[in-house]
Amino acid sequence: MDQAAILDHQFRVAAYAITWAIQLGYVAWLGLKWRAQKRNAARAPRG
Amino acid sequence: MKKLAIGLYAAVTVALMVWGYYQAIYVAPNDAMQGEIFRIIYYHVPSASVAFLFFAISLIGSIGYLGFRRNHAGWAQVSDAWALAGAEVGVVFCTVVLTTGPLWGRRAWGIWWTWDARLTTTLVLWLIYVSYLLLRRFAAGPQMQTLAAVLGIFGALDVPIVYMSNRWWRTQHPAPVFGGSEGSGMAASMVGPFLWNMLAWFAWGVMILGIRYAVERQQQKIAAREAQAALDEGSLI
Repeated sequence: MDQAAILDHQFRVAAYAITWAIQLGYVAWLGLKWRAQKRNAARAPRG
Repeated sequence: MKKLAIGLYAAVTVALMVWGYYQAIYVAPNDAMQGEIFRIIYYHVPSASVAFLFFAISLIGSIGYLGFRRNHAGWAQVSDAWALAGAEVGVVFCTVVLTTGPLWGRRAWGIWWTWDARLTTTLVLWLIYVSYLLLRRFAAGPQMQTLAAVLGIFGALDVPIVYMSNRWWRTQHPAPVFGGSEGSGMAASMVGPFLWNMLAWFAWGVMILGIRYAVERQQQKIAAREAQAALDEGSLI
């Protein structure tokens, strides 16, 4: 592989990895928020 | 039954994501001019499409909230939850667009960023919806949801401008691949992988939109119960 092809490959891998980091990071944050809310809901007064 | 349907949907979505990746990496050929860097399009364009769709959902939710807030409190809260979920998940996808785009640009153009119409209007769109989320996070009081709804409606006005920007103006950003001028389009061998990734990212987006909506509805119910409890306590004093 020439230098340009190696760089293309690295940039493509970076783009895909960053995409998944953003998406999975957001899903993880949502999961934590959901769990914290479940705890709050258990503590909150019943209507 | 509901849990089974959700689990099944999640499983199909994950399978679609894996299949979309396989299509993008192993089935689609390298672009004759751009080589492997072209494959970023299989994540970049679907992310932009899903972001636009979710900002449209946020627009509808915002209009719904303003329409229902005086007479149908329940519907207003549902609309507001959709508005927030659409804006937040839209920002996530727009963030993907604004990071994968410069990575492609660095290799294709030799620069990370340029202030051309498509890039600038997309950045403005992202900033508007980040402002929307900051408003919702830090503003307090009964007017917060109304202000957010108005901002959500104004923000959505930028979506058609972003979409049309590389049709209306000469831009550094490539011309539209689909629905562009004569000669635009994609090689047949790339259309399949592209459409699979569109489907996969759409399914993924709908899944996390649904989760975000459920989280917000739960938050609204907790807030309503706490407000009711505070009122009850006040009436006892």
